[in-house]
Amino acid sequence: MEYAPRKVALIANCLLNQNAKVCEGAHYRGLVNPVVEALRSRGYLLQQLPCPELAFAGVRRWWAVYEQYDTPAYRAHCRRLAQAIAPLIEQYLRRGDDVILIGLDGSPSTGVRFTSSKRDWGGRPNRPDDDWEIVPRRGVWIEELEAELARRGLPPLPATGWALDMGRFDEAGSRRDLEQFLDSRGIVGGSRDDDSAAGEPAAGGPAVP
Amino acid sequence: MNGDARGWRIALIPDTLINPRDRAAAPLPNVLGVLEASGYGVLQLPPQGEHGLLLAVTADQVAEYAHHGYAVVAIGVRGEPGGGLHWRRLAPLLRHRGVVLPPRYYIRPDLDAAAEEQRFAVFLSGYDLPVDEQRRWRV
Repeated sequence: MEYAPRKVALIANCLLNQNAKVCEGAHYRGLVNPVVEALRSRGYLLQQLPCPELAFAGVRRWWAVYEQYDTPAYRAHCRRLAQAIAPLIEQYLRRGDDVILIGLDGSPSTGVRFTSSKRDWGGRPNRPDDDWEIVPRRGVWIEELEAELARRGLPPLPATGWALDMGRFDEAGSRRDLEQFLDSRGIVGGSRDDDSAAGEPAAGGPAVP
Repeated sequence: MNGDARGWRIALIPDTLINPRDRAAAPLPNVLGVLEASGYGVLQLPPQGEHGLLLAVTADQVAEYAHHGYAVVAIGVRGEPGGGLHWRRLAPLLRHRGVVLPPRYYIRPDLDAAAEEQRFAVFLSGYDLPVDEQRRWRV
């Protein structure tokens, strides 16, 4: 019998489990239902990614920016997680499934289009509110996950981010963003080379890293 | 945690409850819907097969939660090998990390889905850590 390719969404850990968020970062009790609904109503299977920050710095970790997680030890930790999940992703891709990645924009680890940045963060955690920046680049975890997939000879995944960590969270805007991304996937008919990284985020302002 | 909405409760869930394999079979209860309504987060377990490193990573996360005031439950599926929970692999990994094994609930696909959803919701709402443990951590 011919194999029917499936649609698979790799999703950031905290999109199914807001308990993984840094203190004050959880906007939902558990699941981020708008994301789950948008994906399931379009026939996507869900594959949750591990949370790199939780397993590295714990549930009571301080807020942090990209530069603080950009360390050899954290990258090695992310590579271990990537090696744990990559065999499943490889299985999907080798079968011909249409695999996409939904990260968390503004996150220092899981950002896809945007991450949080501040070169001088460090030391005593008494920074004034809102003094970090949002910059257009991947978070550390997504960089390492993509590198592991590339090492396995797998193609880049179409990817976008739910704009939860971009400062003032705009759920309606984030939902619009995500639905546009998903519906554009339908139009391009499964091409794997369209990456929405250049898109504008749904919310502006400072991040909750 | 000021302005933080987390529910402090987490369920380990087999892949088959998130991504049902046989769509022609009788519908399973809407497990994600019940979990969402009950305020639980989800840790997804891998499908059947060898996933030693991924289970170790999952056990690390469960240990971190269990040691810091989060309530964790495991939801299996009756009729699936190991309930879909990889329990023979996962339980020793959890014990090795000093985690008291979470209470398990088994979804019964042979029962009416709506009735099973109600039974499942009652289990979820009835479980949490003792109040003194909650007070210790959930500030």
